Amino acid sequence: MTTHANEILSIRHLTVDFGGVRAVNDVSFSLRNGEMVALIGPNGAGKTTIFNLITNAVQPTGGEILLNGRNILGKSPDQICRLGISRTFQNIRLFPQMTAYENVELGLHSTPRYSLAEAFLRTARARRIESDTRQKALELLEMVNLQEHAHARASSLPYGLQRRLEIARAMATSPQLLLLDEPAAGMNEDECNELIELIRKIHNLMKYTIIIIEHHMAVVMELCRDSRIYVLNLGSLLTVGAPQEIQNNPDVIKAYLGERKNARDLSAS
Amino acid sequence: MGYINAILILCGINIIAALGVSILTGYTGLFSIGHAGFMALGGYISAILVKEFGVHFVIALLAGGAFAGICSFIIGYPAFRSRLRGDYFAIATLGFSEAIRLLLNNTQEIGTIKIGAAFGYMNIPSHTTVLVVVIAVLMALYFAHMFVTSQYGKNCIAVGQDEVAAQMMGVDLLKTKLLALFISAFYAGVAGGLLGFYFAYLSPSFFTITKSSDLLAAVVFGGIQSLIGPVITAFVLIAVPELLRALAEWRLIIYGFLFVIVMIYRPQGLLGYVEMNLHFAKSWWAKLRRKSKPAEG
Repeated sequence: MTTHANEILSIRHLTVDFGGVRAVNDVSFSLRNGEMVALIGPNGAGKTTIFNLITNAVQPTGGEILLNGRNILGKSPDQICRLGISRTFQNIRLFPQMTAYENVELGLHSTPRYSLAEAFLRTARARRIESDTRQKALELLEMVNLQEHAHARASSLPYGLQRRLEIARAMATSPQLLLLDEPAAGMNEDECNELIELIRKIHNLMKYTIIIIEHHMAVVMELCRDSRIYVLNLGSLLTVGAPQEIQNNPDVIKAYLGERKNARDLSAS
Repeated sequence: MGYINAILILCGINIIAALGVSILTGYTGLFSIGHAGFMALGGYISAILVKEFGVHFVIALLAGGAFAGICSFIIGYPAFRSRLRGDYFAIATLGFSEAIRLLLNNTQEIGTIKIGAAFGYMNIPSHTTVLVVVIAVLMALYFAHMFVTSQYGKNCIAVGQDEVAAQMMGVDLLKTKLLALFISAFYAGVAGGLLGFYFAYLSPSFFTITKSSDLLAAVVFGGIQSLIGPVITAFVLIAVPELLRALAEWRLIIYGFLFVIVMIYRPQGLLGYVEMNLHFAKSWWAKLRRKSKPAEG
């Protein structure tokens, strides 16, 4: 496998065992800068595990992960975040007692921008940095349309808004690569359409490279119209292709629905 | 008057130490039942500096705090490095402070400095007055407020609420926790120094687990993520038993009972998540001005 100049992420022969179970088995794929691809597969296929491996929440048994050509294996999750990978969580993990604004702000100052002495004395420079941070946090909230909820406690927000807030918080660390873990989970059709629009917008505006794990096929098909979908099954990469190909691929249908003959409604699910 | 002064001084010292525990436990979510150990370290070092080396007592207090802070790395670094879980960390702090107490209990002298083992370190110059304590409390409160509202403090709060998410958002867990532990040990060290300069002697028996659990009680009762809550309870928990001496034997029983009540009905503490601020004063002032304006016009 050769390394392309504009290849941002390259995963090679990634494998992880949990006890006797091989959760991810020899998965390889790579992304070019600015792409938006999806990772789909039935429950337990290893999708979230791949996100956990990329952010080093889980250590792989074998293989390598290259970010901009540099191996990031063995770096701690916070170092990986600083290198430019940010994520959202399948089971929302906001800071529950903080306001929406504070959640986003945290992503901006997780590496404090002024020294400890300046923190205690709150110098003019520290205050200027804080007001810059505040400005940026409010801009991000506006981008995901949460400006009215800026001072609501995160845990008090409705589910759909919490998902959007997680995206804003992930954006706050100014990533190059954004990993979205089921951003549409639990959303109705209207909310899904809003979400599609939102992800499109931030993708175009911020030039992120994005990987989405999603079960809502309508969302996946729409967002990856012009790119690829990776299908995982039982830890292995089953196939890769454009949405149309994936929808009509008999192996994919089999993986999702078992051996049943009549599987027309995969795209409607 | 002397009696009231004594209570005020002891309350003030307790408040400073409780503010330290609040930064560690209330904000960063790390439980310590060993802060008496840090008080002992700070207390003995500042007393030695003043008595044996003639250092000014303010500098000695800061040096004692810094020494306690640096010693906190002995326990903090291995514990946080190996990601010791919360309850195990609490037990580790307990072990650490008991080790220090026993060391002091059995050390007759360090070089030529006689610290008197279990009899206590005698004839420490007396410097702690009500004025000194009030100034120290105000400064401690001011700097604690500055810290918890800074970017460093907010990272501590994030670690306290969801460690995994905080790390994924780029917070360096080891650095953040060590910083919180250092500051909280520093506060305890300064409180220990003030204690020595008040009693004019220090004994290892001041720094038992009872002292540590009193401090933790102040934070749990007072409320997590609050500075003003622990300040009030640290005051009350010293002042009330002093004023109700007759009930002294019942103190621990009453504490235990209150602990259970608080945990059931208000797990975040009495003033949990209530930040010290002047909003109420501002809104009152705004109301006053609104009222007076039409009269002027």
